[in-house]
Amino acid sequence: MKRLATVVGLSMLIGFAFAAQKIKINFWHAFGGGRTAFIERAVEDFNYTHPGIEVKAEYKGSYRDTLNAAILAAKQGNAPHIVQIFEVGSQMAVDSGIFVPIQDYVPAQLKFQLDDYIKPVANYYRIGGKFNSIPWNSSNPILYYNKDIFKKAGLDPNKPPQTFDEVVQACQKIIASKAAPKCITWPLHSWFVEQWIAEQGAMLANNDNGRSARATNVYINSEAMKRIMKWWKGLYDKGYYAYTGKPEDWDGANQLFVSQQAAMEITSTSDVTFHQNASFENGYTLGTGFLPVPDGVERNGTVVGGASLWLTKGHPQKEQEAALTFLLWFTNTENMVRWHKGTGYFPVLNSSVKVLDWEHWFTRNPAYKAAFDQLLQSKANVATQGALIGPFPEVRTIIENMIQEVFQGKDLTKALAEADAKADKALKDYNSAVK
Amino acid sequence: METHAAYKSRWLPWVLLAPTFAILLAFLYYPTLETFRLSLYRVAFLGLRKKFTGLANYKELFTNPDYLHIFGNTVVFAFFVVMLSMAVGLALSILANQKVSGWRVYRILLIWPYALSPAVAGVIFLFMFNPQSGIVNYILGATLGVTPDWLTNPTLAMMLIIFAAVWKNVGYNVVFYIAGLQNLPGSVLEAALIDGATPWQRFWKITFPLLSPMTFFLLIINTIYAFFEAFPFVDLLTKGGPNNATNILIFNIYRDGFEYYKTGMAAAESVILFIAVVFLTIMQFRVGEGRVHYGS
Repeated sequence: MKRLATVVGLSMLIGFAFAAQKIKINFWHAFGGGRTAFIERAVEDFNYTHPGIEVKAEYKGSYRDTLNAAILAAKQGNAPHIVQIFEVGSQMAVDSGIFVPIQDYVPAQLKFQLDDYIKPVANYYRIGGKFNSIPWNSSNPILYYNKDIFKKAGLDPNKPPQTFDEVVQACQKIIASKAAPKCITWPLHSWFVEQWIAEQGAMLANNDNGRSARATNVYINSEAMKRIMKWWKGLYDKGYYAYTGKPEDWDGANQLFVSQQAAMEITSTSDVTFHQNASFENGYTLGTGFLPVPDGVERNGTVVGGASLWLTKGHPQKEQEAALTFLLWFTNTENMVRWHKGTGYFPVLNSSVKVLDWEHWFTRNPAYKAAFDQLLQSKANVATQGALIGPFPEVRTIIENMIQEVFQGKDLTKALAEADAKADKALKDYNSAVK
Repeated sequence: METHAAYKSRWLPWVLLAPTFAILLAFLYYPTLETFRLSLYRVAFLGLRKKFTGLANYKELFTNPDYLHIFGNTVVFAFFVVMLSMAVGLALSILANQKVSGWRVYRILLIWPYALSPAVAGVIFLFMFNPQSGIVNYILGATLGVTPDWLTNPTLAMMLIIFAAVWKNVGYNVVFYIAGLQNLPGSVLEAALIDGATPWQRFWKITFPLLSPMTFFLLIINTIYAFFEAFPFVDLLTKGGPNNATNILIFNIYRDGFEYYKTGMAAAESVILFIAVVFLTIMQFRVGEGRVHYGS
């Protein structure tokens, strides 16, 4: 009896010892709802196939909340290993100094994965020629439109407007024929403005969009911006453009389109799956097209939006290696295919695209195709590379306030000049604080 | 009669108070002092890096037109929220204090909004006042033929968040005013009735003065509410827009501190808010002292 107890005790001890040997990795992300479940499933798969490592994924709220939580945790010396950070937080993440430049730590035999990223994505996330983080969820804005309303208004349902003027012309018909109460909607968000600036091949900040050196000047008072604002204000004044009145209201814009109050919506490709389901549930035919661009300007391309995964500093080497193993597995060919199908976010690896092509995925799902073609046709230059600006969140609010001022009738030249000065000051304050 | 010395030993009271003091120290006094200290720094990344700048943050606060605009909004917002929620609360409680059939139902319905969390209340208002698909504009459009853009017009947006904040807090004032009304000495009101005072006179000459301790208490509570607890309405309904028209101090502190990582500025704004509320409370005590009747 005594011996039995000893054996049981010993085996339990050994069991604990093995359990304790598992390397624990913490992964903080900003995806709630259905996407949390998606991430959990992938993590379970990983833990099952990698018995030595135990990854724990945690939803930490919005992108901003996640970054805040990570910085505070790092300050207290228990940072999570992996953090998801939104694209405009990239410069901030570099400046915070709590992350490692990931490319330096990827083992030689896995370096091939870094060369596999599709060009626009690699372009955005290479800072100073190097990947500082692993690209993950990536998206673009595209045009969604209601084919039924287009037919009712006497428009060709297979020809969505391509340019600013074509949008205005389509709107005239839609409103005049009373096919829908409003013509077009998109969230009042600076992201769209940034995209239209890139489409014109213009820049949002000096020093090559902050890519060749730290940006010191934000370009809000530019010809490119004037073109965008004149068109937008025209749509607003004529009652063609609708929004809820709240800035950055993604759900509000979706609601306007899904309830068929607006014939078109410009929003992220990450909502393709959502819009396909919604059109099915609400009984209308969905179409997708490229983001309309200013007339007389060659389509230059869009900037990748979304987020990437960063590795924090100061962990024992074993943990750091385990975290990297997970990161590279989590974003490998197969998982990127699954991620794309489940959400609409881009498959960011060339090999994933090949798998999808082989499955005829894009021919069977044309809505996903428009989104992806637009990304692939983007020219690779500094404009589409996207700006790196430290205080980007603040600059976004400055731009959004400017848009609302212009809607209220403020003189465009004056509004742009004031916003430009405010953004430059925010940048100066930020730069002086981090240096 | 012995009124003190419930405890025999001298240190026992201190021991019993210690947990309270420990919590106050850790969660109130220390953070307050830390806020004062941080307001003198330019802070990056929630304190990862900081640089002493003296009073530069305060100078910025009082010279930047955007901040002055926010101070103005805060004053307007707080004034109307306090005045309206107390006036409406008093009026409703006088009505609810009548002996009519179904008074229990009325009282519950009046207190109900207070039981909602501000976040839920904010979302309900967002749905109701959505310009294109909200119920309010649907009804207004069907009856009067107007559909105001509640959130795009600066004045309407401010009115809306004031209305939301008042709606949410009226229930609280009703609870306290009804309690106050029920404790009024019936004999005084009866005497007035016999002497032929009109209802109007009875209210202003008797009820209102007798309620003054309650009014005074609610004035302070409502002031604190208006300054500190309106955050969810702004965050959910307008995000400070259009163009800062509804940006009030408590929302801007959050924004500067946690969205823009300007912790030093946020700390300086907190200090200003702190001083303003302390000053207002002291003023209210000073002014109130002579006018409040606590009875015998």
